[in-house]
Amino acid sequence: MLDAFVQGLLVVLQWQTFLVMLLGIVLGFWVGLLPGLGGSTTLALMLPFIYKMTPVEAFAFLLGMHSVVSTTGDITSVLFGVPGEGTTAATILDGHAMAKKGEAGRALGAALMSSLVGALVGAFALALAIPVVRPLVLTFGAPELFMLAVVGIAFISSLSGQGGRALLRGFLAGLLGLLIALVGQDPQAGVQRFTFSQLYLWGGLDLIPVLVGLFAVPEIVDLAVRGTSIAGELPQGNLGKGAWEGVKDTFRHFWLTIRCSLIGTFIGIIPGLGGGVAQWIAYGHAVQAARDSKEREGFGKGDVRGVLGPGAANNSKEGGALIPTIAFGVPGSSAMAILLGAFFLQGLAPGPDMLDKHLTLTFSMVWTMVIANIITVATSFFFLNQLAKLTLVRGAVLIPFILFLAFIGSYTSNNHLGDLIVFLFFGFLGYFMIRCNWPRAPLVLGFVLGKIAENNFYISTIRYGSSWLLRPVVLILVLLTLIVIVYPAIRLGKRRSAPSEKTA
Amino acid sequence: MKQLKTKLWILACVLFVIGTPFLALGASYYEGKTLTIVVGYKPGGGYDRYARLLAKYLPKHLPGNPTVVIQNMPGANSIIGANHIYSVAKPDGLTIGTFNNALATAQLTKVEGVKFDLTKFAWLGSLASDAVIMVIRSDLPYKTVDDMRKAKEIVIGTTGPGSSTHDFPSILKEFTGLNFKLVPGYSSSADVMLAIERKEVDGRAGSYDSIKPFIDRGLVRPVIRNRISAPGIEKLPVDEELTKDPKGRAIMAVNAAPTKIYRPYVAPPGTPADVVKILRSAFVSVTKDTEFLAEAKKSKMTIDYALPEEALKVVREVLNQPPEMAQEIGKYIKFGE
Repeated sequence: MLDAFVQGLLVVLQWQTFLVMLLGIVLGFWVGLLPGLGGSTTLALMLPFIYKMTPVEAFAFLLGMHSVVSTTGDITSVLFGVPGEGTTAATILDGHAMAKKGEAGRALGAALMSSLVGALVGAFALALAIPVVRPLVLTFGAPELFMLAVVGIAFISSLSGQGGRALLRGFLAGLLGLLIALVGQDPQAGVQRFTFSQLYLWGGLDLIPVLVGLFAVPEIVDLAVRGTSIAGELPQGNLGKGAWEGVKDTFRHFWLTIRCSLIGTFIGIIPGLGGGVAQWIAYGHAVQAARDSKEREGFGKGDVRGVLGPGAANNSKEGGALIPTIAFGVPGSSAMAILLGAFFLQGLAPGPDMLDKHLTLTFSMVWTMVIANIITVATSFFFLNQLAKLTLVRGAVLIPFILFLAFIGSYTSNNHLGDLIVFLFFGFLGYFMIRCNWPRAPLVLGFVLGKIAENNFYISTIRYGSSWLLRPVVLILVLLTLIVIVYPAIRLGKRRSAPSEKTA
Repeated sequence: MKQLKTKLWILACVLFVIGTPFLALGASYYEGKTLTIVVGYKPGGGYDRYARLLAKYLPKHLPGNPTVVIQNMPGANSIIGANHIYSVAKPDGLTIGTFNNALATAQLTKVEGVKFDLTKFAWLGSLASDAVIMVIRSDLPYKTVDDMRKAKEIVIGTTGPGSSTHDFPSILKEFTGLNFKLVPGYSSSADVMLAIERKEVDGRAGSYDSIKPFIDRGLVRPVIRNRISAPGIEKLPVDEELTKDPKGRAIMAVNAAPTKIYRPYVAPPGTPADVVKILRSAFVSVTKDTEFLAEAKKSKMTIDYALPEEALKVVREVLNQPPEMAQEIGKYIKFGE
């Protein structure tokens, strides 16, 4: 196995492969940056081009493109508050808030560095997991997936902000998200739910128009109303700490970054959880790292840890998602489903062979992800501080550009007018939620997890009756859920009691 | 590239000699124009991949060598795309489309939202047929249908009503007395495959093409097929033979019929007859193009071209069912996303 590991690297460094990977990187760079144009769609569009390439070149191209998308998507999220990718929306919460405070450079540095760490952890996990991946994936059946969704929903408590009222709002927002996930045809009896006789809604609401609307529109309105530049809250014209500070932040909170990378990898490994989930759970976890209620308040207003968590997770999940794809031929995410097509195009059958006969190819994929991300982050750093200056440009100049990107981005979902209507509807909703101080993150989490929770609950019940509740992994996850809900409360309780002991 | 250009010139000269009026229309018609193929699904799926392969090779079989591009119009299991080709796309030969083969059943059972009449499209043929099969996990003791009848319960995973993974077993269950327990709700057929590997479910149904790699790997074993045969599964029992109920047989036949025209292509109704003729002959010649066939084979896409007349015949066969039959069919074959 060790020689396959080294061979994999050598094979990627051959000039044809390297060149083709660079091409993929350039493509992925722009795809990530532009909101709406997704990594998955681009992968599909690139498939016809790999026909004449060797397997190593083909995957260097495709993975070079795809692994970079989550890195540059963070840039758009931080600078403009528009999600560059469906998987980089969580970075907006604190990243864009930092940009408004004039710390865009720092946020960008943190996002990029954590993306690199996440990508490395994900790639590393891919390399290490190869012997153990089959039993791991096979243990997670429908009951376990349902419990994982429940754990995810429990994170809503962390995403909700302080106090009883905020918690209530958070849970209501989460329930609203779950309700919105119901739209479409139910998979058990084929009944149309909330589709109002619209063909467009048969498949439910698409993530991109909802996300872009929910996050971009309030920011745009805010920008227009303020009449200043994005970094409007800055007292004078100079930008705050730059990208290098963001890099230092990543290492200052190194263990948080690593933990969130591991969360992302794990969620990527389990097929069925999808890309939208990892970033929010990582964000929720980062919030839990707050040591007291004052720090809790800081999240959503520009705490760099809120950038590190999602930034790492949305990259590491790519490495994780590759694992079930290669080992089982079951895609860990929608992008992986398309990558599977590439496997067949190259005449390869994903499965045990990839971990055996074609081990060098598998390792070349790992190395591609590592090298592609290193190159992207290194190149981006050269002009991060210039990019940050965009936040000094007057809003009136930027708004048409951002609005244009947001509209086009939403439209690429289905090339249908319905996309724009959904975008506008959620835009309004997002705006009102901000005005009334309702948190949006729980809504997104509910929306993303709704289908997973419902389908797996149903499958578990039909298949196993009620006995699935007693499966060992399910019980562990129930415990985990309780910990997630109760932990922040305990931590704050401890802090509060400690000072009062001193005064007593 | 140079060889291609030479070939094209020779083709043009030959055509000129053979049929000037034909060529006069064709060469001036598609010259410098763009042909759009509307695909009723998102990029990456089966229909999209076939269309993109077609887009790559079709230009050199169309006089005038136009650019061929893809326009994805997903939604409602391609009903949105089909509606668009039917009433919105201009019938000038510059737009053609592909959609779900099962739309014939959707039209028959009067699914809400269907705004087209399949018989009015200008049919261009179908690129492939597909067999629907049912497979069981290899480590289970059932080898024949009789074995399966003895089983207390066989758990079949599906992706929900409206897909072949669900309709095929549900009809089998109703009419052949096999003890299937359907577990719908998996988000994709790949997830059902993983569930089989996990021993969460015992088997599944679906397209032979997509299940074949797993049969070859030894994970599953095919046990039943629909009336469309394919190399490797000819000897399997056919679903219609497993029931004596004439109603059941009719429903199975209607369910199976569209899979003969698995990748249908049409032009909007009202496209001028001579343009349709050009398109049809382009389809005939591209499906004989050796490079096209080689690339399709490498990408594991089978090509089994059905002529427009055959396609229309299949469609009519489905649509001519009497209303009571349509109602019965509607009970078992739901239309879904």
